Amino acid sequence: MSRAIEQFVEVAPCRWRLGKAADRAMAADAEVFATREILRQALDDGAIEQVVNVACLPGLAGSSLAMPDIHHGYGFCIGGVAAFPADGGIVLPGGVGYDINCGVRLLASSIPVEEFAAVADAVGHALLARIPSGLNARGLRPLNKKEFQRLVAGGVGEVARRFGSDPGDMEFIESGGCLPFDAPGALGPRACERGAAQLGSLGSGNHFIEVQAVEEVFDPAIARVFGLEPGRVAVMIHTGSRGFGHQVASDYIETFRRRNLARLKLRDPQLVHAAIASSEGRNYLQALNAASNFAWANRQLIQEEAVAVLEEALAMGRGQLGLRLVYDQAHNIAKFERHAAAGGEADLLVHRKGATRAFAPGHPDLPERYRSSGQPVIIPGSMGSSSFVLRGTASSAGTFFSSAHGAGRRLSRHQAIKLSAGEDVSARLRAKGVLVFSLSSQGLREEIPEAYKDVDEVVAATVAAGISEKVARLRPLLVVKG
Amino acid sequence: MRNYETFSTTADTGIRFRGRGHAELYANALRGLNLLLFGRNPRLAKQKGTAIPFRFRGDGPENVLVNLLAAAVALAGQEGRQVTAADIRRADGRRLDALLLTAPCPRLPRIDVKAVTYHDLRVREKNGVLRAAVVLDV
Repeated sequence: MSRAIEQFVEVAPCRWRLGKAADRAMAADAEVFATREILRQALDDGAIEQVVNVACLPGLAGSSLAMPDIHHGYGFCIGGVAAFPADGGIVLPGGVGYDINCGVRLLASSIPVEEFAAVADAVGHALLARIPSGLNARGLRPLNKKEFQRLVAGGVGEVARRFGSDPGDMEFIESGGCLPFDAPGALGPRACERGAAQLGSLGSGNHFIEVQAVEEVFDPAIARVFGLEPGRVAVMIHTGSRGFGHQVASDYIETFRRRNLARLKLRDPQLVHAAIASSEGRNYLQALNAASNFAWANRQLIQEEAVAVLEEALAMGRGQLGLRLVYDQAHNIAKFERHAAAGGEADLLVHRKGATRAFAPGHPDLPERYRSSGQPVIIPGSMGSSSFVLRGTASSAGTFFSSAHGAGRRLSRHQAIKLSAGEDVSARLRAKGVLVFSLSSQGLREEIPEAYKDVDEVVAATVAAGISEKVARLRPLLVVKG
Repeated sequence: MRNYETFSTTADTGIRFRGRGHAELYANALRGLNLLLFGRNPRLAKQKGTAIPFRFRGDGPENVLVNLLAAAVALAGQEGRQVTAADIRRADGRRLDALLLTAPCPRLPRIDVKAVTYHDLRVREKNGVLRAAVVLDV
């Protein structure tokens, strides 16, 4: 069904509502946090229809939501948020995505940018050599079956116990880097096999490790709380649960189809779902938690290796380099959270796909350090463009405290390769002051900056909509691509 | 349209294929996947290799296709084996009973296929020819 921009009402700046009266099948309103231009693009690429399809699902709490980086996904748009009652609600794998707990972590440091510049080339080569990336990469820490089961049950805690990483980091990871998992039977053999081989690997596509300069600070007091100081270096890691998460998602989409598809009236079969309380729903949530724990452990191990590279290059320890974890956040996940609802509070299962949790100041689940600042919200840009750090605000209650997660692709990989034909992408970025390291020149061309939307526009819309506030801008110095 | 070909979406990639009947449709889906992963197809008639049984019964041809392609992706990614041909014993809109003939991958896959999706997947029939397009998460 085609929809016109005129059907939407801008109920607040950058907050557009399509009332449920617009479509007989809608059980709830659809709300998009975007500029008019972003909304227009989302109408064109079919993403809005996906927001509407989610609004047709049973039992949705509040509205079907989309963040300012909305674009077309599988069934459920990227940038989509949907919450369902924990008691009596549904769970949908399509609302999480295939790369379960794909996410970003950011480390701050006291390393001056000029000091890093002297070792940047050596650091880039070492990161590329030491952190497995690209196709079919085996991880830093391949595990046997028993070790794998312990890892997916313990998450980052197990990494600390087994590999000696700093347990103090756990405080600065969403959910402490571990969600409850005690059902090994919920994981299929192929998923475990894929996961056990890949722990501690970056993967390919848009995953990266970036060393950045804190270029601009918008809120000095909050930046200080986050440990971000102008002229100092930061490290950003973007990856997820690798083949393990993809296999979990594929396995449960099959299970849900087999059990439920025939009796569900869905506009898009990618929105197949199950009752949270059903056996398949409970098992999926267990498997989702296992894959989430794997992803946090994966980012933790990559961080350890990246820190070791910096320590060796600068001949100083982590403490002397002031390297501390600012935050690690998931942007493909579903979690139980307590939110305000009509007549009080309600326990909800909040699905965020290509969307970031952004708790406001005072939220009890935030670490003590961030209790008065709000949660750091990390929004990476494309290779060669700035990334941003924002913070959660009280005014984002309407999005279940959710925010944007990135820029989103504008061109297909094929178009990007065509556009960069005959060009030395690495040399172009080097001329802009960004060193790029990758095992794949094709992969690099697929990821040219032009392949992505303008992250500045996404951040501007996020701020204008009041769902987060800007804290700092980070400029890339060095990028390692999978 | 050729019997099988690849295409790009904004975020991902996919294969399109057709066939006169389900057996040919499924075989061409495997050829399309080979084209995507390895850049070309082996000469099917001359291939020898290890035969791996594939038996699937599902809710429709889309369900069969996703599971068939997922099995071939897993063979390539996890076991380093390419499906070079399919000896199809029985195929219809709900089931496939075949022997997948496999050989060691000639090279690493060109692309990391992480999942086979149902996105916009619908097998359509026109003038006796079945057509489908499968989007792959890469």
